Amino acid sequence: MKHFYALLFLVLPLLLTGPRGYGQQPVPPAKTVTGDFTQVPFGQFVRELETQTDYRFYYDNTAPPDTFRVSLQARALPLATTLQRVFEGTPYRFALTADGRAFITSGVSIEPELAGLFFRPAGTLAEGPVAAAPEDRAPTAAPTRSRYVTVAEYKVYTIGTGGGSGPATLAGHIRDIKSGEPVIGATIYSESPSVGTSTDQFGFYSLTLPPGRYALQIRSVGSKNTRRQVVLRGSGRLEIEVEEDITTLKEVVIEGEKDKNVSSTQMGLEKLDIKTIKQVPTAFGEADILRVVLTLPGVKSVGEGSTGLNVRGGATDQNLILFNDMTIYNPSHLFGFFSAFNPDMLQGVELYKSGMPAKYGGRLSSVLDITTREGNKKKFSGAGGIGPLTSRLTLEGPIIKEKSSFLVGARASYSDWLLRQLSDTKFRQSSAAFSDLSAHLTHQFSDRDAVYATGYYSTDRFRLATDTTYRYANKSASLKWRHNFSNKLYGVLTGAFSHYDYDITSEGNEVNASRLRYSINQTSLRADFSYYPNPKHSFDFGVSSLLYNVSPGGLTPLNEGSLVVPNILDREQALESAVYVSDKIEVNQRLSVSVGLRYSLYNALGPRSVYEYAPGQSRSESTITDTLSYGSGKVLATYHGPEYRVSARYSLSDNSSFKLSYNRTRQYISQLTNTASVSPADTWKLADNNIRPQVGDQVSVGYYRNFKSNTIETSVETYYKSLRDFVDYKGGAVLLLNRTIETDIINAEGKAYGVEVLVRKLTGKMNGWLSYTYSRSLVRANAGTPADQINNGRYYASNFDKPHDVTLVGNYRFSRRFSTSLNFNYSTGRPITLPIAKYYAGNSLRVLYSDRNAYRVPDYLRLDLAFNIEGNHKAKKLAHSSWTAGVYNLTGRQNPYSIYFKSENGQIKGYKLSIFGRPIPTVTYNFKF
Amino acid sequence: MKKLPAFLQALLALLLLLPTGCVEPYAPDVIDAPPSLLVVEGFINADGPTTIRLSRTAALSATATPLPETKARVFIELKNNFQYSLTETAPGTYTSVALKLPAGSSCRLRIVTAKNQEYASDFVSVKLTPPIDELRWTPDNNTVNVLLSTHDDTRASQYYRWDFDETWQISSPYSPSVEYYNRAVTPIRTFYPIFCWGNNQSSRILLSKTTALSQDAVTGFRVQGIAANNPQLHIRYSILVRQRALSEREYDYWEELKKNTESVGSLFDPQPSQSQGNIRGLTNPDEQVLGFVGANSIAEKRLFIERQDLPDGWKPRSGYEDCIPPDSVFIVARFPDRRLVDPQGVIDRAFGSMQVLPIDPVLEAEIVVGYTAKNRDCIDCRTRGTDVRPSFW
Repeated sequence: MKHFYALLFLVLPLLLTGPRGYGQQPVPPAKTVTGDFTQVPFGQFVRELETQTDYRFYYDNTAPPDTFRVSLQARALPLATTLQRVFEGTPYRFALTADGRAFITSGVSIEPELAGLFFRPAGTLAEGPVAAAPEDRAPTAAPTRSRYVTVAEYKVYTIGTGGGSGPATLAGHIRDIKSGEPVIGATIYSESPSVGTSTDQFGFYSLTLPPGRYALQIRSVGSKNTRRQVVLRGSGRLEIEVEEDITTLKEVVIEGEKDKNVSSTQMGLEKLDIKTIKQVPTAFGEADILRVVLTLPGVKSVGEGSTGLNVRGGATDQNLILFNDMTIYNPSHLFGFFSAFNPDMLQGVELYKSGMPAKYGGRLSSVLDITTREGNKKKFSGAGGIGPLTSRLTLEGPIIKEKSSFLVGARASYSDWLLRQLSDTKFRQSSAAFSDLSAHLTHQFSDRDAVYATGYYSTDRFRLATDTTYRYANKSASLKWRHNFSNKLYGVLTGAFSHYDYDITSEGNEVNASRLRYSINQTSLRADFSYYPNPKHSFDFGVSSLLYNVSPGGLTPLNEGSLVVPNILDREQALESAVYVSDKIEVNQRLSVSVGLRYSLYNALGPRSVYEYAPGQSRSESTITDTLSYGSGKVLATYHGPEYRVSARYSLSDNSSFKLSYNRTRQYISQLTNTASVSPADTWKLADNNIRPQVGDQVSVGYYRNFKSNTIETSVETYYKSLRDFVDYKGGAVLLLNRTIETDIINAEGKAYGVEVLVRKLTGKMNGWLSYTYSRSLVRANAGTPADQINNGRYYASNFDKPHDVTLVGNYRFSRRFSTSLNFNYSTGRPITLPIAKYYAGNSLRVLYSDRNAYRVPDYLRLDLAFNIEGNHKAKKLAHSSWTAGVYNLTGRQNPYSIYFKSENGQIKGYKLSIFGRPIPTVTYNFKF
Repeated sequence: MKKLPAFLQALLALLLLLPTGCVEPYAPDVIDAPPSLLVVEGFINADGPTTIRLSRTAALSATATPLPETKARVFIELKNNFQYSLTETAPGTYTSVALKLPAGSSCRLRIVTAKNQEYASDFVSVKLTPPIDELRWTPDNNTVNVLLSTHDDTRASQYYRWDFDETWQISSPYSPSVEYYNRAVTPIRTFYPIFCWGNNQSSRILLSKTTALSQDAVTGFRVQGIAANNPQLHIRYSILVRQRALSEREYDYWEELKKNTESVGSLFDPQPSQSQGNIRGLTNPDEQVLGFVGANSIAEKRLFIERQDLPDGWKPRSGYEDCIPPDSVFIVARFPDRRLVDPQGVIDRAFGSMQVLPIDPVLEAEIVVGYTAKNRDCIDCRTRGTDVRPSFW
């Protein structure tokens, strides 16, 4: 047995927790020692004790070694007192058990008795006492729990064959018991020692612990808390099934995050699950993922009819929007009033505002990672909803039971039909329709291999009383293969394809009839690995490569009578590759550090012709000095550089911590948009000889504290960000079909800083969050000639600079079936360029504009209210249904979307345009079967 | 509340089937009064007299029209230092004699204000304008569209700007036989004019460029649209369109000005930005001056639209619909009101302001018992135009 202790000493550094003095252990039945010992070798002393008492001693030969000699005079001295005297002033500690075992350790004392069903931090030991302990608690199942889970919670799982000489790795998946779907972001942890992890997007976890007995706690969003008792003898697998928490369907359950706010090294991460998203009131009654993301601190948009996100003072194109690892270029429907994701398909969303993991790159400001659920692996089911403008249906079920499943969702609008019911001919000539379709397939080949396929298609088409038709579409697909090499190492190979295109058809006048097209394709292949060598390190590393293929615009005549000359811009191609490695290091219980490095390399590829401009002059057609032609596959510009990702957490106490992060990001593709909001005619432009990639640095610091046993989370985060070479435009820039687009673009620099304060209550009848953000976002274009400067090269507020922002999202549950949600939002008005004087020109009064963004529109204020009524809660019935009724913009405040001035009949008039200038009632019916 | 642009109306109706969106007048609280800047309007006419108007910008809230800049000295300067001076013909309006400048020659405008501040435009190259090939009108969906075609085989023009003068004939329904004169209604001494001519100038910036077309040809450009019931079409309508071929820079200037001041108001509008003209301060180079002075010639074409040529069933309003029937002013007691009337008082009260005019006497048993009468605007067509017959009419 003695060699067993060697194991213990290997993990001692991990167990160096608070001091445990002598005699703190429960004292065994008194057995006394009598005798005179003078310089007796320890081994001999032990043998003597073993004969005098019923105790059997367990200790490592080296601690205490035989060179350790004992001198003691004892007269019927209790064993505990004897040992106490012997070890006084030495690093050795002892522990006695009730069943006659004595353990001697060096430097740390152990707790051999099971306190309850798990060990106190001091120790994990042989399975002997463990085996005896568990059955003393009879399973007393709560009536709501399934028999399976109840049994599983009280069963003791023996993992591995034992005899291992080091820490063992326990790995497996956490899945939903009903559907077999993986549970993402579930935490699994042992309270002593405090080691925990959370499941990744596949529901996979890997936990490294010293052998011993543990009670593992499993917590996740929307699932009942559960636990598993394991005796870990060596590495092995444990598949865990959890039950959906049916009764708390409409609660904000962010249990997976319970102490993550404080304990994780990640900062600037916002996680929302679909249940939270579904209860925030929206204008059209349908759960809208982007709209809810906009309520988070640090996220803003220019106006309410826009889903363009401005994260911490970044532009709308600086967000990497991933839908199951496929990049989505236009995540909105109908000018941005809807987000293009079917809520029933979704698992949740994660938004990284800072401390971006090294795995992600290619955008400056944020990563918005939207994941779908996995289909139900056990039985066929479906869900859907009927709203005022759209309806949706989702079906899911097993293909091969327990092994593969599908999930298919579709959504369509009936606005076309609605328009035709209107009396005004203008409206009847209009059309607007959108739809989206997504499908997700999973197949589990074995414990080690699984394949995931996702397809996504969304399309919009609208014509508004004019002869111009807009149409745009996203098409994406991804295929993922996941392989577990061992419990400590797994890899994911992902191939993805994303396509976005739009066209604008104009057919009013035969002579000018034309079609404008734009498209971008992105093909990517990446391999990502996660490696958990020991509890102190978790590595992520991988490589990725991404090929862009852009057709930047083409105008073609629609018919033979059209005089329009075909004008098709050269295609653009580029390859963006990256390698990354990051390591999360648990330095000690208080300090945890995550360091990562990503190195990205960008090659703009031919065939293409690019212009060369006279250096030191403002770029214009007249300063072109040369045209360079590159052949197919030739590199016309290369940019590369490191991207640092560092974050650290220092725990001040069990419920408060301090975090720090720094990251650099590089972005090689920019969206060209000269309008206030994102418009469907915006294009994406690749970096080339004339347009440099954007580079951003962000430092952020935060303090986190949880109250009332982690039910109330508070945090204060502050950040400073600097951006280089981001795209701004000269006044009146022409962005479409412009062969010399670089002459209208300015490489500006920006800085953004702010403080975000968040208070979030997670549980209880009343829950929700309140956030306040102070932030600034400033731009400066001072390089080059005066023609390239804006506002004479001074810093000016960016379009989305809204210093003050207060958001409250609150829910109150009256009963299991009836709950209400409230959403309040206040923010400073966004900057605007105002007319400052009038003058007469061209037979009409005209206006003189101020410096760019020198003024602000009135402040924004909105209050929404929603009621959710659930059907009865019989767990087994044909279909579960719910009603959501709400009022958007309850106060009817006419928030300005846009302010503009027109000269009419020789007078200058200012107008304020509001989109939702009245309370808007909605009712949606949702069902699930 | 103002009516929404069609685009937005459709959008909003579509979204909600409720008119929830709205456009409201907006007056920003504080707009710092800017220094009043010099505004230069006009162009150097390469084939005729040049007219330049100088004025100052005014604060948006100012009710008065912007002030003209008077007593300045204005010159057209050629590259060879030869200069022509302009004389002030009206406050702020400066006119030169007819000049003939060759195409491609370089010239600029120089201004010295009364306060001895000096300004000059950049040197611009003279561009001659091709003639207007055709100016025609077509009825389309209750609108008369005036369409223009032009071309330039040399492909030198490419950038076009138009403006126009509209003239239309007006005839009031009344020709009074009496007038109020010396506190009495007496036979009229001078008849009111039977016909007047209304006049209007284009206030929109009309632009087109042909750089994207395989020919330098503008076909069927809609210069103006007149609604079928517009009184302008009631008798006879005429439009004179002036065409100028611009340089690319001047075109860009006008296009930007148009973008900023005319075509804003939709969801996807670009941000307004200040148009950069081509005039600079010589005394103070940092001083902002508004305007663009190009050098080009003018091509003109006139079109007439006769009432009888309009499609059957089109009924342009006369504009005097509200004037019929006439009112009556009685100077004797009328049944059933048997009160005595003070004829002098009645006449003075009715016509003394000169805003209501007597038209004809009302006779009862050959006795004048009163007069038909109406607002001046219903009788004197000079309130709506000039009675001077235009030379081209």
